Amino acid sequence: MRDVYVAGIGITSFTRLEYPLAEIAAFPAMLAMKDSGLTDIEQVYVANMGAARVNHQTALASAVVDSLSLTPAGAASIENGPASGSAAIKEGFLAVASGMHDIVLVTGAERMREVNNLEATDFIATLTHPLAEYIYGVTLPSHAAMFTRLYMEKYGVTERHLAMVAVKNQNNAMLNEFAHLHQPITIEGILDSPEAMTNNPYVAEPLRFFDACPVSDGGAAVILVSEKVAKSIDRPLVRIAGVGQATDTHAVHERENPTDLLAVRRAAELSFGMAGLTPSDVDVAELHDAFTILEIAESEEVGFFAKGEGHIALEKGETALDGRLPINPSGGLKGKGHPVGATGVGQAHEIVHQLRGEAGARQVADARVGFTCNFGGFGNNVICLTFVREN
Amino acid sequence: MAREIYAYECTECGTLHYPFKMRCRNCGELEPFKFKTVPLPKRGKLLTFTKVYNLPAAYEVATLGIAIVELENGVRVTGQLEVDDPTIGMDLLGDVGVVREEPYNRYWGFIFRAA
Repeated sequence: MRDVYVAGIGITSFTRLEYPLAEIAAFPAMLAMKDSGLTDIEQVYVANMGAARVNHQTALASAVVDSLSLTPAGAASIENGPASGSAAIKEGFLAVASGMHDIVLVTGAERMREVNNLEATDFIATLTHPLAEYIYGVTLPSHAAMFTRLYMEKYGVTERHLAMVAVKNQNNAMLNEFAHLHQPITIEGILDSPEAMTNNPYVAEPLRFFDACPVSDGGAAVILVSEKVAKSIDRPLVRIAGVGQATDTHAVHERENPTDLLAVRRAAELSFGMAGLTPSDVDVAELHDAFTILEIAESEEVGFFAKGEGHIALEKGETALDGRLPINPSGGLKGKGHPVGATGVGQAHEIVHQLRGEAGARQVADARVGFTCNFGGFGNNVICLTFVREN
Repeated sequence: MAREIYAYECTECGTLHYPFKMRCRNCGELEPFKFKTVPLPKRGKLLTFTKVYNLPAAYEVATLGIAIVELENGVRVTGQLEVDDPTIGMDLLGDVGVVREEPYNRYWGFIFRAA
């Protein structure tokens, strides 16, 4: 396989966007082309989950490649639930690594604020098992809640730990101009004060409003290139050193140990294995915190902390922006937002930003190795990427 | 006649599956549909649960109990939970009732109550 580099990045604000979905995908792609100085795109991958269902549009990639005036480049849409973004990066990686293409654009986009909250919740719930889960009214918050309850019983995680993740990530998001939530919060305001129960009601016990990410529109893009192209442009060299993907049972109840996220563990092992690195080499990580508990659980499964000790590392401040291993400096899904199809590409955007040393007020000092975990379904389709700054 | 929810027993090795799969996860038999349906037991223990407040479209109730239950034959299922103060490990008895209603469509599934 050939080495694959990220030559350019672009992102929209993650928020409510009032322009069409294809343009939400095309806008960050324009920024990424400008960033890299590359316009001779040979292949385009567009990551998205809800175009057909939410926006009444199919074959999104064909619309995007045309909007960008990149025809006759090849183009394909990638739908892989909330892990669509990293799945598209994996396809782009393979296209370059194989030698088939030298310059590939990967852009992810979602426009899910077009429908109301009930419909958005239902749209995401369609990734559950149609006969064994969906018909019961199972939602992603309910899966996360049932998982949280077991984590609390087994490892002593409390609502306070969950609130600490929310506070950390929303405060990181304050430093990110593209983040959806620019709302600083405190433990006092969402947990301890008399008003806290009004500010922060349950959405699915024991998870509260501030344990869940917002519903966002947004897009993010990366341009992936071969070594020859990467060295011909004046950009810092960030290489995708590891790509790992793994799956788990569709119905969550079929998992032997319901507090394990085996697909996260396997995807991380594969990613680190390909990179020839270990979790202790990582300087900065973006983990898929659609719910606060997931940041804690994923930080253990990917190998940063021992199982059951993620919340202790959090308590000690190890995952804070100035800690030993900053997690979600962008604000994560919790603070930055979760336009599902764009999320994995957005994670890559942040890590490249960090490794280039361009992250401004939220810059992690001397970051050379970055890591992302994009969690599809309720952990049934997970992709982990390892990035290395090379010069 | 009592309504049933069925598990799928591999006719080659006897492994029970719920929900249905095309291929047995234990023996990997490649001949399709080599399963026989077996009614699931109704008794089980509560493995984990939640009370959901933000329900998807189609549910016109304020909250809904959702649970994962281990049935007495070891098969686990997801279902609705109608228990006021549930505790992990409590004994439950399932009934098969309407769990989702859409125009012209009703879906039947497990509804668990305290045993």
